Amino acid sequence: MPIVQFTPFSSLIQPAFWHELTNLKIDVLRLSDDALPVSGSYSTGRSVVDRESGNEIALGCNLSVGSESFDKDYKAPAGSIPVSGTFKNFNTIEDFKAADKTALFNQEAEKIWDHILKTRNTALLSHFLLITYADLKKYKYYYWFAFPAFVSKPAWEIAEDGWRDATDQFSSEALSSIHTQFHSHPSPLPFFLVRSDSNGTSIAPVESYATFFESTPPSSQTIAFVDPSANPTNPGWPLRNLLAYLRALYPETTSTVRVLCWRDAELHQSTWKSRFGVLEAGGVSSNGGGRPSAVGWEKNPQGKLGPRVADLAPMMDPTMLANQAV
Amino acid sequence: MQALQSHYWAVRDYLSPVLKESKFKEHGRITPEEFVAAGDFLAYKFPVWTWEKGDASKGRDYLPPDKQYLVTRGVPCLRRATSLAYTDADEDAERLLSFGDSSGPGDEADEWVETHAGRKPHGDSAANPGDIEDIPDLDGEADNVASGIGGLSLGPTGAVEETPDLDDIPDMDEDDLEEKDEATAPTKPSGLVDTSNIEVAKGNLLQVRTYDVMITYDKYYQTPRVWLIGYDENGKPLTPPQIFQDISADHAHKTVTIEQFIHSASLQAASVHPCKHASVMKKVIERMNNSVVEEQLSRRKSGGAAANSKETKKKWPFARKTSGSGKDDRSAPGEEDEIEGMRVDFYLVVFLKFIASIVPTIEVDSTTSF
Repeated sequence: MPIVQFTPFSSLIQPAFWHELTNLKIDVLRLSDDALPVSGSYSTGRSVVDRESGNEIALGCNLSVGSESFDKDYKAPAGSIPVSGTFKNFNTIEDFKAADKTALFNQEAEKIWDHILKTRNTALLSHFLLITYADLKKYKYYYWFAFPAFVSKPAWEIAEDGWRDATDQFSSEALSSIHTQFHSHPSPLPFFLVRSDSNGTSIAPVESYATFFESTPPSSQTIAFVDPSANPTNPGWPLRNLLAYLRALYPETTSTVRVLCWRDAELHQSTWKSRFGVLEAGGVSSNGGGRPSAVGWEKNPQGKLGPRVADLAPMMDPTMLANQAV
Repeated sequence: MQALQSHYWAVRDYLSPVLKESKFKEHGRITPEEFVAAGDFLAYKFPVWTWEKGDASKGRDYLPPDKQYLVTRGVPCLRRATSLAYTDADEDAERLLSFGDSSGPGDEADEWVETHAGRKPHGDSAANPGDIEDIPDLDGEADNVASGIGGLSLGPTGAVEETPDLDDIPDMDEDDLEEKDEATAPTKPSGLVDTSNIEVAKGNLLQVRTYDVMITYDKYYQTPRVWLIGYDENGKPLTPPQIFQDISADHAHKTVTIEQFIHSASLQAASVHPCKHASVMKKVIERMNNSVVEEQLSRRKSGGAAANSKETKKKWPFARKTSGSGKDDRSAPGEEDEIEGMRVDFYLVVFLKFIASIVPTIEVDSTTSF
């Protein structure tokens, strides 16, 4: 059976974030390079139809940070899922280069894993790490995101029929019902459970897995998550840690899971974009309860593991602005 | 110079009075209240648009504190405006701004808006003398205004590709940082764009840029104003010359400039200058209003069938708006029984269509793609 491949997050930093960092660095952080909490958000994967060729084009699987990312009471934009992260700014490019990235990364992975085991809570599943070096004089910002995801060994496999339209599995009414319940939930649900029984379709937070699915046959249990990927054959990154979470906490019942990739932010009468697939854990986990290894450093545009640079000089440097404003 | 001008505008903005009475049908301007109403309508119908409060110190007191401006993020831009291949007749039909048959008053100053009118046989645009289809074929700088200017500013400022930047940190490829992971989908083809599936038009490289689009209320001109912040396909902010590639050549560097975003202390954004918005909006609204009134009258008389044929002919947009789908003829007569013409709620929807003609490749007009 084919291995499930997940679309990694790609970071999207609004310029306002760098402005905010500049202020923070000058007024608050100064020379401190302590780790700070930061927040970002992602939303359901979007695709556009190219009007010239008529093809459907999947847009990136974005996790974005903006000006409000440093706010203590961060509120994700409407319809988006907030995620927490750890932010660390280095004072010099040498520090940035020399930083022990493996240690930083493992620290975050450890944090996520502990959180799963201790609290049985999904809040940190998409937790990310962002390291930066801000060259304030040149308006250049070096940054590197990591989205830690636990590696399942052996990898998850998908049933022969692969990823299908959600409408193959759910009726349009059931999907509408999920949509309504999803939106009437007080806080945005990044991960949720779907149960279909004689009373119709209902959803619940993943935390209530044991009680919610207590008397539901496995064939009516579905795990769902807000999918930032719009790619038809690759679910988004958050699913990886959700699966790790389920394997860690409910190993008996989760060797086969039915997954709904929720991609319908808006209600369309005719088309549902959500995907459905049946995944199987490819055998018994080998590392007996310990923390699985994690991956997730973001690749740079060249496809290598390396930091990225945002050069804001053309939009911030007064002399450059003056030059082009003739 | 730029800074001076910005300050002058700021002062003028501060001194000008807030428009009180509604006159949007007479001269295309709206009051802050109407801006909020139209914004509410837009955000309600098209949830990709949301209200923002902006920087508190830059708040405008004639607008509600939590409704200072509208924003939509991640608007895709599939092609460069400078490389538009004019092959698709449908795209033409979606533009509502061809004034070909209503040029009675003939306000020549307004011709600049008709970027797509030149494509039609009866195109009356003196500003577009050349056959617009030729532009993509012409080689480069001389005739292609935007890329020419882009080239100019590329040289002296040194704002070149990103690659040189990475030379600053050559030893930072740490490919050994983590082992290869079989469950990670390959990024290039899937994370960004499946380029293999896309026919690249006329050899122009396809890149998916995205834009954050903001709509603010301009007190001096009493119209909405559009701001753009662009990202390239890797999520990097676009430079001004790159942004100008996505603006139709008639507007780049003329009505579109990089300016201080008025709701932020430090952010710079590309902005369409609103000095002509009111007169253009007035024209569009007049036309819309006539057809809306006509439509409503004919609906009252005969119901769905007649209205339907008219709609397909004129591509009247609001039939789709009112119910959010193409098939609204059954529900709409009930909703708007009284003949009142166009409501001010639609102002921003119309405004977006107008903006779509300035930035033809940025899919800012989500009202058609749904």
